[in-house]
Amino acid sequence: MIARVIIAVVMLLVAATTYPGAVAVSMAIRLTPAPTAASPAPAGQLPWLHVEHRQGVAPYISDDQGRLVLLHGAAPASLLDFGRDAGSPPSSPPVYPIEPAAYEGSCPDTSAASRYPPLCQSDLTHMAALGFNSLRLPLSWSLLEPDRDRFSEVYLARVVQVVDWARALGMYVIIDMHQNAYSPYIPPGSGLNLAYHSGAPAWATLTDGVPSKVLLKDQREANPAVFEAFTNFWYNRNGIQDAYIAALGFLAKHFKDDSAVLGYSIFNEPQPGWNLPPGFEDLLLFPFYRRVIDALTGVHDGLPCPTGFFMPAFCGYADLGIHDLRHMFFLEPGLLREITDFPTHLGLPVSSYRNLVFDIHAYTHGYTIEALLNPNADPRQATYPWGGYEQTYALGMREARAMDAALFVAEFGNNPNHDSLILANELLQQEKHLVGFAFWTWKEETGATWGIYDPAKAGGCLRSARERLLARVYPRASSDPGLVYHYDPDTGGFRLTASGRAGDPPTVVFIPAEVRGSLAVSGTAEPETETSPEGGRLITVSPSGGRFSIVVAPAPLVLAGCG
Amino acid sequence: MSDRSATRALVLGILSLPFGVFAPFAIWTAVRSLRRINESHGAARGATRATAGLVAGVAGLASFLVGTAYWFLSS
Repeated sequence: MIARVIIAVVMLLVAATTYPGAVAVSMAIRLTPAPTAASPAPAGQLPWLHVEHRQGVAPYISDDQGRLVLLHGAAPASLLDFGRDAGSPPSSPPVYPIEPAAYEGSCPDTSAASRYPPLCQSDLTHMAALGFNSLRLPLSWSLLEPDRDRFSEVYLARVVQVVDWARALGMYVIIDMHQNAYSPYIPPGSGLNLAYHSGAPAWATLTDGVPSKVLLKDQREANPAVFEAFTNFWYNRNGIQDAYIAALGFLAKHFKDDSAVLGYSIFNEPQPGWNLPPGFEDLLLFPFYRRVIDALTGVHDGLPCPTGFFMPAFCGYADLGIHDLRHMFFLEPGLLREITDFPTHLGLPVSSYRNLVFDIHAYTHGYTIEALLNPNADPRQATYPWGGYEQTYALGMREARAMDAALFVAEFGNNPNHDSLILANELLQQEKHLVGFAFWTWKEETGATWGIYDPAKAGGCLRSARERLLARVYPRASSDPGLVYHYDPDTGGFRLTASGRAGDPPTVVFIPAEVRGSLAVSGTAEPETETSPEGGRLITVSPSGGRFSIVVAPAPLVLAGCG
Repeated sequence: MSDRSATRALVLGILSLPFGVFAPFAIWTAVRSLRRINESHGAARGATRATAGLVAGVAGLASFLVGTAYWFLSS
């Protein structure tokens, strides 16, 4: 009899903490009414954006008029805290000052000690000139909370400064809790280069003495110590996950009423540690995302559980009292999805909170498995992914819909030698699937130099090929979420077809200064044209009923880059 | 005498809860074990373990199927 009871209890516990429990909670969430903000949105300089859910249409990022909003932007890595060199943790103080005063009206000199130049106000002006209306701002937990429970007000002020610059230019900021190979405080070892590590502070880096050694050449994540550190995080060893949620709460509390902050990218490139898919995402990662959302919004989707140690998938999280019901949460799948361009989990509902964005990193032929196995392979001869560049987008759309989330490309980029192939194809797919992007990375001084700027040229200048491809004509907002558009960077030609009823909010198209072709509109009234402060054109077209089109005629591009 | 498959069914059943791929093997092993135990007229033991393995296997398979079906239907 005792044996039967023990077996029954064990079975129940295992079931509750694994798929049966996770599926039950997710299905309950599907039936939970969405929370709504009790008070009107505080007025901001930028309209509040949210995720729109319309019957029969995939969820999309939208403005306060219900229009589809496309975000173009880049990710500057300058606020990250990398190791000083191959075998040393970050320097203290950081290479570039984090005091905002150092950036007021000036810009610190670029240092050879950092792979990335300092981020200054002029950088955002240059981003806006390319037509970027957003940026993804990667942050380091190690700078935000260098000592446990002691948050850096100085680092926060630096983030606020960048958000202020962005707001003044009409740009949105995605605050990205970034990491690369977990932490710059991973113990040094064979093949390791801590100058490529960022993320957790030393006190949250628990490697348990597991050997630190890179097992696959140049793959910083393939390190047993990194696996161990991630595993300890996912299982909330010593309450480090609680501390991470508190750190996000510290940010969210400050930006709660700021419409220029689009939302929070909760965890960059989550590595599974010793866990296997799909259980890693369904039982550890996405339940962790749910707990963050519970904590910051005050929704109660999971069950109450004690904190400080492992929290199974069914666990929710205590309300931190912030009640942020306006910002978006960007949810990234596990790292294996990035290298397979294929779903690696079931995509169960995560939260009843509706401003969710499923964000993918599109590195087809850059970090997909065939490229990792043969880094020198010609991407034109690649035999994987079978669905080509479209695979990650088509499947990403399905994964996002399953979670009732919008889709966003939080990172993509490539070796500049492959721009005409990889970059051009990625941008084509983003157009086709009406998805916005953040390009990795804005500027990079040494190493692979994937930046939009070429550091080898005097003073660093815009790579012409990237200017040609990234300074695009695109719709910034439209009341038709089913619109179709295409920009041809070879000719400068553009065509958008959409439909709308008379009285619908207008469609706004951005034309960068590089594009000089004449504008023609058919099927509706004459457009209003306004010159943007950066020299581009903003076209506003109000539908008069039925289909309409906006065309920019081909014309030679006028590029400012230095080749 | 304990049926040799009863413990195996239990282990496979527990494994099928986090890893649905084990569920068909848990169910198959548990059913075969229970059949042998019944046919032994009391000579073989292990019905509790086999039954638990069967229940866990069915729960693992059901949650895997619900999750997968949800993905296809909602995406």
